[in-house]
Amino acid sequence: MKRRSIAALLLVTVVAAAVAATTSGATKKANASSITVWLQTDAQSGWADLVASVNQKFQSDHPGTTVNIQYQGWGDHLQKFDATLAGGGGPDVIEMGNTEMTKYMAAGAFADLSSSKSGFDNSGSWLKGLAASGVYKGKTYGVPYYAGSRVVTYRSDLFKKAGISKLPTSTAAYTADAKKLMAKNGKKGFSPIYIAGTDWYFGMSFVFDYGGGIATQVSGKWKGLLASPKSIAGLTAYKNFFAATSRASKTTDETHPNPYDVYAQGQAASMIGPSWFSCCVGAKYKGSTAQFVMPGHVAGTSMPGFLGGSDLAVPITSSQKALATDWIKDFTSTSSEKTLQAKGNIPNATNLLGSTVNERAASRSWFVPTAKHWVDVENGNILRNMLAQILTGKLSVKQAAQSASDNIASVLNQP
Amino acid sequence: MTSRRHRRLWGRTAVPYALIAPVVVTIALILGYPLYFLVRLSLQQYGLFELIRHKGVGVGLANYRSVLHDQIFWHTLLRTIVFTAANVALTMVVGLLIALLLVQVSRPVRVLLSSGLVLVWSMPVVVAVQVWYWMTNFENGVVNYVLTHLHLGSFEQHDWYASTFSQLSMVTLLIVWGALPFVAITLYAGLAQVPRDLLEAASVDGAGAWMKFRDITLPILRPILLILTSLSIIWDFGVFTQPYLLIGQSKVTPGNFLMSIYLFEEGYFKSDYGRGAAISLLMLAIVGVLSIVYVRRMVRIGVET
Repeated sequence: MKRRSIAALLLVTVVAAAVAATTSGATKKANASSITVWLQTDAQSGWADLVASVNQKFQSDHPGTTVNIQYQGWGDHLQKFDATLAGGGGPDVIEMGNTEMTKYMAAGAFADLSSSKSGFDNSGSWLKGLAASGVYKGKTYGVPYYAGSRVVTYRSDLFKKAGISKLPTSTAAYTADAKKLMAKNGKKGFSPIYIAGTDWYFGMSFVFDYGGGIATQVSGKWKGLLASPKSIAGLTAYKNFFAATSRASKTTDETHPNPYDVYAQGQAASMIGPSWFSCCVGAKYKGSTAQFVMPGHVAGTSMPGFLGGSDLAVPITSSQKALATDWIKDFTSTSSEKTLQAKGNIPNATNLLGSTVNERAASRSWFVPTAKHWVDVENGNILRNMLAQILTGKLSVKQAAQSASDNIASVLNQP
Repeated sequence: MTSRRHRRLWGRTAVPYALIAPVVVTIALILGYPLYFLVRLSLQQYGLFELIRHKGVGVGLANYRSVLHDQIFWHTLLRTIVFTAANVALTMVVGLLIALLLVQVSRPVRVLLSSGLVLVWSMPVVVAVQVWYWMTNFENGVVNYVLTHLHLGSFEQHDWYASTFSQLSMVTLLIVWGALPFVAITLYAGLAQVPRDLLEAASVDGAGAWMKFRDITLPILRPILLILTSLSIIWDFGVFTQPYLLIGQSKVTPGNFLMSIYLFEEGYFKSDYGRGAAISLLMLAIVGVLSIVYVRRMVRIGVET
């Protein structure tokens, strides 16, 4: 009797242990089996091959782990992200625009990566501006992914045909060239320079070129700068430049349509945008496409360009923070950054910088006010609306600038 | 005797309640709980910070106060009411005209017309918006092309989304186009109830087409018209997909907000969910007030017949 019960007990123990072993193995495997990464569609159209090779390397270093890449659009990825913060099922790694970081870092949406910072390649020499966008109260939440400046992509064949032998070195010279291009290509709807009317990144470049600005902090309070005489001079110059050179819609943004699609259809001689625009100019014009730095209004200078960029962050809701951090390490490794550079981007560290058009354009750049509520200014389309009002003549430059400036100050000064 | 009678009475009164109980319970669960949650949310400061911690801070009626003191709210409300009135009026008038046409035309034409209507109805909104967007496109839109080639003026590179009026007119066209099938087919069904002999008798008495329509057809259609109008008000007042997608996120500004877009921008884009909840409850109250007239008249008609 006793022996039998002992045997039974043993059997139970063995079975229980076996069950425990399989379940613990199963849970471990289930936990480790996948991480979800949200990248922007820029990666999908520009460097999907890099994403694939990084995933391959990551998966061979972490056997049994799969990486689930989900591409997002800039317009609504934050709303989707907010929904996952509330309801779960969110990403383990998320790409954030450098202008979007502050609001989320302030709300505590990301994991603190300070302790693993030294493990990222070149973290000692990260691009200053980009690294700063991922730091809040001294802690690192965002890993610089890549930066990009905005350049002119143009068709050398059309320039040559219009008798332009030398690339323009001032805004006025570029305007004169545009007139030559217009004369050679009279077709309706053809733009010597395709500029989406409400492309505020480009519009603000004129403001900064004339010494103006968007907003500044004066003893703890934000003050709008768009209505200052210098900013108004810049906005007026933008209006005149657009009128003389572009036949794009005055009210559309730089993704409806994509400027490179207009260009690929032969409807533009040049366009303004990130340097990776050269990816998508169409097979027909690939050979004749080149780039130069947008010249400023003072001859010989370049126009300050928006230094855009992305960071990678690990949401606080992720259950795979260590794996997520490892994936970011692979995706921002020296070799990954070199691939990004070859695709026309600016790598994330100064020691990797070369001297491409894009990198030269970055030498004179501007950035948005680093305020917690800046992203509300962007999402509220305050600057786009102002540019549309100016270009369509609905309001004078001064009226439009004044109203936008007041608006921005009130948004930024919210508690 | 009395106890038996009592029991029967009790049974008679209880059965209807028992029958509607499942529906009431289901509605309470799927509408009541979210509504309760919405009310609670509207009384809290609930932003991104609170969202991550799943915990809001009670602020009383502050969200309502801030919304009601917002100039943009009142401008948006006025714009939305005008917009709704225009949409509902157009939908009802054109829908009724199509229904009357359906009665008059020959069978093959009627089949063709109603299949066209059903096709419109079956098109998903997002797809319809995309098609509309292509047609009115600035660079290569077919609308600009056709209008120019019909010599109706120069529509080369005409921007249909340049002004608020033009934007909302495009949205109205799209909404009315999408709402017509339901209204037209429902009214067509209603027209079948109009007794033919009554119309014939009226003709014999010398009534013209307009008189017959006004004095016979319209009174018979009235209950259906009331239902359709109140439903259209509810739909059009809170419409989101068409204006948001057709106008486009990057063109949405306080100058062209409709209520639902105002709610979306304030609640989601600014991550101020408490304020968003307050706006949505105010919207609910406004729709209630707007449609109460119709509901009351509908109930009265129900009692009369």
